[in-house]
Amino acid sequence: MKRRITFIQPPNAPFSPDQAVLTPDALSVTNLDAVREERLTVSYDELPDDIRTVIDQYQAVHIRWATEQSHKAPAPLASRISSGLHVFVSGEKRAEGEDALCPLLKRMFGEEVDCLSTEKSFIEPPILSKRFSSTADLYYYSVLSFATPLVDYIKDNICAKLPRWSDSSYDCIELASSLFADTFDISYDGISHVLTVSAVSSRAPGDGEWSQRVAKPEGNGNGGREGIDQVEVGLLTTEKAAEAEDIKMGGLLGVVGRDEKLKPTMFSFPSRHHALPDDATYLASFSHPKGLHPTMTLSLSPSALKEPPAPADATCALHTYLTLPSSIFGDKYQLSTTDPLFLQSHNLAALRAVFGETDLEAPDWAVDRWGSNWLLELATPENLDAVTSEWNVTIPLHLRYLPPSESGYRTIRVPWPVVFWACTAEGGTKMGINPFDRVNLGWEGLFGPRTMFYQVHPSDEDVYLYEKVTVPVLQLDEKEGLFRSKTIELGTVAVIVLGFLWVLLKLGLVSSSSGKKSKQGKTE
Amino acid sequence: MAVSIFTSPPLIITLSLALRVTLLIYGSWQDAVSPVKYTDIDYLVFTDAARYVSQGLSPYSRDTYRYTPLLAWLLVPTTWNVAGFSLFSFGKVLFAAADVVAGWLVAKCLRTHYGMDTGRAMKFACVWLLNPMVANISTRGSSEGLLGVLVAGVLWAALSRRVVVAGMLLGLGVHFKIYPFVYGVSILWWLGASTSSKDSDKDKGSNGKEKTIPQSITGFITPSRILLTLTALTTFLALNITMYTLYGNPFLQHTYLHHLTRIDHRHNFSPYSTLLYLASVDGGNGYGYRFESLAFIPQILLSVVVIPVVLAKRDLAGAMLAQTFAFVGFNKVCTSQYFLWYLIFLPFYLPNSSLLKKPQLGLLVAALWVIAQALWLHQGFRLEFLGISSFVPGLFLAGLFFYVVNCWILGILIQDAGGLSAQEQVAK
Repeated sequence: MKRRITFIQPPNAPFSPDQAVLTPDALSVTNLDAVREERLTVSYDELPDDIRTVIDQYQAVHIRWATEQSHKAPAPLASRISSGLHVFVSGEKRAEGEDALCPLLKRMFGEEVDCLSTEKSFIEPPILSKRFSSTADLYYYSVLSFATPLVDYIKDNICAKLPRWSDSSYDCIELASSLFADTFDISYDGISHVLTVSAVSSRAPGDGEWSQRVAKPEGNGNGGREGIDQVEVGLLTTEKAAEAEDIKMGGLLGVVGRDEKLKPTMFSFPSRHHALPDDATYLASFSHPKGLHPTMTLSLSPSALKEPPAPADATCALHTYLTLPSSIFGDKYQLSTTDPLFLQSHNLAALRAVFGETDLEAPDWAVDRWGSNWLLELATPENLDAVTSEWNVTIPLHLRYLPPSESGYRTIRVPWPVVFWACTAEGGTKMGINPFDRVNLGWEGLFGPRTMFYQVHPSDEDVYLYEKVTVPVLQLDEKEGLFRSKTIELGTVAVIVLGFLWVLLKLGLVSSSSGKKSKQGKTE
Repeated sequence: MAVSIFTSPPLIITLSLALRVTLLIYGSWQDAVSPVKYTDIDYLVFTDAARYVSQGLSPYSRDTYRYTPLLAWLLVPTTWNVAGFSLFSFGKVLFAAADVVAGWLVAKCLRTHYGMDTGRAMKFACVWLLNPMVANISTRGSSEGLLGVLVAGVLWAALSRRVVVAGMLLGLGVHFKIYPFVYGVSILWWLGASTSSKDSDKDKGSNGKEKTIPQSITGFITPSRILLTLTALTTFLALNITMYTLYGNPFLQHTYLHHLTRIDHRHNFSPYSTLLYLASVDGGNGYGYRFESLAFIPQILLSVVVIPVVLAKRDLAGAMLAQTFAFVGFNKVCTSQYFLWYLIFLPFYLPNSSLLKKPQLGLLVAALWVIAQALWLHQGFRLEFLGISSFVPGLFLAGLFFYVVNCWILGILIQDAGGLSAQEQVAK
């Protein structure tokens, strides 16, 4: 098991050498203003049995989660996903045994994860290129607000098995708690048989500055199943790179317990994901009144509309990628139109991809799959200077019928989509080794492997990265209300029967009358 | 009534054509300049399906295509470009033309079989021909216009004793939209009344004695009834077997089975709407007695059995109107396009109706129908566009009220078609 901790400071952030002190036993950081990435690399043998049983069934498993709280994501950790839990699996081996993934997800993330089985609840993203493997075969999403269930799961199932009050137990709890982050990724690759867990937090809990003691590994060389073999630390900051596609980083690196002091370093690498300037933002909202056909509005700041500083030969387009739970959906026929008037009126350019549950009629209770994903290319103004305030993109959506409730309403949560520029160059840069690369996010696999992405930041005007939509439903108060299911049932039947009898009565009157004369041929 | 210039057939036909041409041109203009389209969404479904068919694919490759492949075939020209000019609107022209032919058939029947003079016949045919709702629906590209001409054709063929033609059109109509099967029963019953005028008296028995059951059955089986049944069934089956051979299960599933298995949980004019919402949740588990599964009983009993038996021999068109009215009013799902189904019969019904003879009654009927619609639409708007939970009591009561109004109107239709109202008048 290897641990890597990286603190990434904003460019020009103050740093004095006494903020990071390396001793033979530990590294201590104090009051560091940085984004922290905790990364743990675990070999297959070190995994708990129930996790092994599940990942044995697949070639690759990626579980990702992002918080619903607004947070920063600077380079080189700029890529974003919609808030919630995302599960990608590839190369399903339909061997023996029943589907173990959904039960494991429920154990790890709680009953909020409404997953029936991979067959029923997962959707199949389109595979654009067989060679490029960053598209999963099956994908599942769930609105999951907190990482707490996972942290509890690790504490109860992994940390609790370690000797109590030991350093390894303490490390385990500390590592588990690092999952209270902005985003975490758990990735298993069946070829290298390695599971990596990485958690990124843009600010420390409390005052936002990191003060932490990272001890040298206890389990050094004991070859046991648990315990950490190596702890790597890095204190880095991004600098201006020579090439547009590169990210250059400089700072200090060291291995705790091995190195005597932190070594200065400077390196650069081509990066798939880049961050746009801080003022390139978007805000997602639903226009009022929402009704059964709510319209999602994305308000983009003028800076978000500027073409990113991609290599000169690249073609760039602004995109949004929607993750819609099954209760809300788009009409793929409406959105895939090429009618310029419709597209212009919404500031859309084209629907590039859609997959998942797109049934236009089914109510939510008749739908098993979790929902749908939509990749839309957005229109940008022809004359940028003319845009002084914001640029609004609107996406017409529809609600499914939801089960009755006592109040007559139900609230659904729709995560904000991600918004980014995708730039493709003819030759393109081969994405080489990037210690912070992130693939298999759902949306990036819909582009070629050499595409570069420039993330537009969610506006921090809003604290939460999701919108609540109130769905009107049948109001049923079975205890006190006038309208219970019985009232509706008996009321309908009574009225239908009375109407039916009335019509029969009229027919009876006609039948019993002697007026048999056919009106056919009767003249006026 | 003399043929006035205002009711001369060429003028009315020209006017009705002009109305449709104007709407077609206006529609193309609105489609070209506004993001809100004049063209009906269904038309895009039809034309998409026609494109699939033209590429040798199944029309059911298009989601929500729930019609016979005949429709997609008919619209294949919409995928053509002739001399750089797209024939996309071909279908709308076809539907609008079908409308006018339907209206012309109505006028023909009124003249030939209702003994009206040309002017009066044209005047009542205008209820269909110059009806803006009819012209609007077909020029927006809804296929209901095709159904109008089929149903008018069935009535015309029956009244002019073209039994084979009536059977074929009926078979085609049922293949197209299922519901016209109810007319088969009326025509069968009516054919008995007409083959010999004594038939109807025979039912009671010639000596006032009731006939025995075998006698009734053998009496009921007449050559024209057999002919109608056979031609209708043959047409219907031949079409279905052909389509099934070509397109297999998707054809059966989307054209017919879908209508049996659909849940119709969405709000609509049907009195069952709220109950169906309730019942479809969770497969209806835990919700009561499942009355909705019996909903077909009053609907089928009225529109297939009682109305034809009581009314068909007295007034075929009147019976067909009452059947359609009952079928729509008692249906588990009801949308505004269904209203077009009975509109085609109004020109036959109105001339002798108590609605025209007693204008106050006519106005009251019209007002109540409109009020019931308005009440429902208001609740529907609150739900659909304002997001207010108006299922209960709003939509629930509005749906039931609309049903009650429909039953009351149906009662009047039945009285009129059965000649009761006429007798009342005579008695006065």
